Amino acid sequence: MPTTPTPPPAPYMLFFRNSGPDTHQHLSPEQRQQLVTRWNAWFEGLVAEGKAVEGQPLELHTRIVSGPGGERVVDGPFPESKEAIGGYVKLLVGGLEEATAIAQRHPGLAYGLIIEVRQMTPDCHLGVNTKPSGSREVIVH
Amino acid sequence: MSPASSDRPAQPAQLVEHFFRHETGRLHGALVRLLGVHNLTLAEDVAQEAMLRALRTWSMGGVPPNPSAWITQVAMNLGRDALRHQRMASGKEPALITHHEQMTATPAVAWEAAHEIRDDALRLMFVCCHPEVAPDAQVILALKVLCGFSTAEIARAFLSTEAAIEKQLTRTKQRIRDAGIGFELPEGENLTLRLNGVLASLYLLFNEGYKASSGDRLLREELCREAIRLTELLIAHPVGRIPRAHALLALMLLTAARFPSRLDEQGSLLRLHDQDRSKWDRALIARGLLHLGEAAQGGDLSEYHLQAGIAAIHCMADDYASTDWARILRHYDELHRIKPSPIVALNRAVAIAHLRGPQAGLDAITAIPQRDRLESHYLLHAVVGELHWRLQDERAAAESFRRALSLAHVGPEQAFLARMVERTTAGPDDGRRPAAWKN
Repeated sequence: MPTTPTPPPAPYMLFFRNSGPDTHQHLSPEQRQQLVTRWNAWFEGLVAEGKAVEGQPLELHTRIVSGPGGERVVDGPFPESKEAIGGYVKLLVGGLEEATAIAQRHPGLAYGLIIEVRQMTPDCHLGVNTKPSGSREVIVH
Repeated sequence: MSPASSDRPAQPAQLVEHFFRHETGRLHGALVRLLGVHNLTLAEDVAQEAMLRALRTWSMGGVPPNPSAWITQVAMNLGRDALRHQRMASGKEPALITHHEQMTATPAVAWEAAHEIRDDALRLMFVCCHPEVAPDAQVILALKVLCGFSTAEIARAFLSTEAAIEKQLTRTKQRIRDAGIGFELPEGENLTLRLNGVLASLYLLFNEGYKASSGDRLLREELCREAIRLTELLIAHPVGRIPRAHALLALMLLTAARFPSRLDEQGSLLRLHDQDRSKWDRALIARGLLHLGEAAQGGDLSEYHLQAGIAAIHCMADDYASTDWARILRHYDELHRIKPSPIVALNRAVAIAHLRGPQAGLDAITAIPQRDRLESHYLLHAVVGELHWRLQDERAAAESFRRALSLAHVGPEQAFLARMVERTTAGPDDGRRPAAWKN
């Protein structure tokens, strides 16, 4: 019997930065293959444990919209490609510590990958409705 | 902890061993067909970009069911983009671009595409091994564009620097552009000539890996494996399916089969009679013998036939003592007739020593024409030392082994020779003289 109560799983996001072509250009074909294999093993392991919900690479082509009327539209990629988010993984884990520990095991770190760990929150501080009506997500434990 | 994954959706596909490396040659072939031989560097850049996209997408989204088709599709699309850019930049009229796009962008029948791409890799092999390119440069270019080795790996395998390899590759590609080498499979009389060039280059590639005279050992065995793979690729095509190619492949397989026993636990080189024959790779030997059989179809008798024949005799002997030296000598006689060289003559002398005694071997060595070309090679002195030792002439033996030691470059060879020097200077026969040598 565990003496400390396990916290209920909560959603966390891992954002991958510095995962673009520049980062992996210098790798040999064999090293690339190893990275894909180990990266997949990391993700598949988490899926098997029910800790990873989904993951997705993102196209590096970026469009940034800003300005009061949305008139400022800039085509990316970012001037600093390190900053661009190259992909994400959504976790369902017991807390920030566990999410961090999972991120620390990532094989891409050795090649310069940067991972940002963020907890997802059900409530927006502005009170904006962030879910399509009628399909409110409820996490059942 | 982790539940049984049987209820999970299908596992993402796994990449076969060396997928990225081997895909390089296929992609380069397909891209060079699209972009032209003069655009070899552009083809490399495009293939590189396609690989990096695959890496990004597959590492976060899993490997697609047919990774090879996926990456080819991406590479060809990128190639067409690159071509469009290049033509726009050079001011070619748009009509031409449209025409080209209609020609190439039409989705081809899948079978035909796969067929084409297989041919493309072979065409690229003929480009790399073109007689206009120097033999050493051929091997390095083939490693880069056909085998997917990075310049860093090539530099490590050849004990060179990345900058030097890079420079040589640039020169080679310039040479290919200047010579206007085309991207077609040679035909008719030209085919035989060009095929001989390809075989010679593959042989050289294998030898680079086998001779172990410098560089990273594991990488060198990779060179041998690549030479085998490319020769198999050649034989898979009707154009390359000739007895001589089978003979070369047999030679490679029968030689590679003995890799596992070449070194002892200390990494010291083992002579044939000290090798543990149970470590030989029986599957490779079987494949080698199969190709040797194929090689015997027809009347061609090349140097590869003879060398493969010698390798087969060694592989089929149960132990060193029962080796058929008479047959080996006949093969060396023939080899020396069609391709005389001091090294062949030296090997022939070893066979003579086994048949007629050490003095006959030494006499044969003295009689080698152009023996001075061997003087700087450690092997000559190692063999002479061995023969003197068998004649109980410890002093002459020690002198030769010392000479050999001063000429050897790699650890395993040096370790072996140092042991021999020690043994010959240790006094009378220490009982470790192999039985086969006592006659």
